Amino acid sequence: MLLKRKHPTRIGGGALTHLSPDSIDRISSFLREGRKESVTISDVMALADLMATSFDTVIKGRDESAYREFCAIADAITRMRTDIGNLQASELGKHRIPEAGQELDAIVEATENATHTIMEATEGVMAADPNDPERYRETVNNACMTIFEACSFQDITGQRIAKVVETLSMIESRVTRFAEAFGTAEADAPGHLSEKEEQREKRKRELILNGPQNEADAISQDSVDALFS
Amino acid sequence: MSVDLSMPVLVVDDYKTMIRIIRNLLKQLGFEDVDDAADGSEALQKMRNRKYGLVISDWNMEPMTGYELLKEVRSDEGLARTPFIMVTAESKTENVIAAKKAGVNNYIVKPFSAQTLKGKIDAVFGG
Repeated sequence: MLLKRKHPTRIGGGALTHLSPDSIDRISSFLREGRKESVTISDVMALADLMATSFDTVIKGRDESAYREFCAIADAITRMRTDIGNLQASELGKHRIPEAGQELDAIVEATENATHTIMEATEGVMAADPNDPERYRETVNNACMTIFEACSFQDITGQRIAKVVETLSMIESRVTRFAEAFGTAEADAPGHLSEKEEQREKRKRELILNGPQNEADAISQDSVDALFS
Repeated sequence: MSVDLSMPVLVVDDYKTMIRIIRNLLKQLGFEDVDDAADGSEALQKMRNRKYGLVISDWNMEPMTGYELLKEVRSDEGLARTPFIMVTAESKTENVIAAKKAGVNNYIVKPFSAQTLKGKIDAVFGG
């Protein structure tokens, strides 16, 4: 082929950039200057053939590049499947998290019942007639026993809380491993709140709903009093 | 205590046990007329129907918080002068400052003692 013979590296390299307007101009010039006559149909055909070959090389190059990309994506998906599997989300969702929820419900119920029992006992003492010492003593003694019994809720709720803490720790470690596997930049990116969550956060900000604080972070009553003095 | 023990007191809290605790403490302090509401909007409605001598309110309630109730009360000409004590687990300095700016008379951090409640009521009424 005429062109390929004279300029093999420039034309047949296979890079798409070789077919830029400049390259085509150079090819046209070559055809004109090299022959000092009009460009013939066969020259044009030779050029078309050359361009088709060039495109073929470009497309083959692209195919290899795309193949490598697809292989990398497939590897990433395989790794992701393994990491998602390690999360054991199904086990967490079906058992651990619902069980933790049930434990918390049971804690609320137990503390509520205990509080009710204790308050009822103390209200009984408050309402008792101290003018009848014998009966009053009996009321107080019975109330004390009831209060002691009611306080046993603390042991059970302590154990329930320990189970919830264990589940939270498990979730934390798995999520951390998952975040580390995929990089924390995406995991830490903002904007993952649903509309409902966004509204709740907005309400919390606007109405200064911070909730109870840890002892170290909470303002003491003395400090509050100082602000009002 | 230089307080009128016959004045009606409104306790606002969404937690029934806390209402019961404050009711009993107030009863021990000598208050006989204690009413309650489960959130700010119910409290506001009650306050517009009856004149209370003191409001003791929680902060974190739905739909209307104690903070919103306080601001509503202070912006209502007929209610603006009602003594208002916040009793809350909201224990950040920004909460106390915001409540003070909104016109709260005193602020009690939960959990609290009967002595603290008595002390703050005394302070509000200049006792």
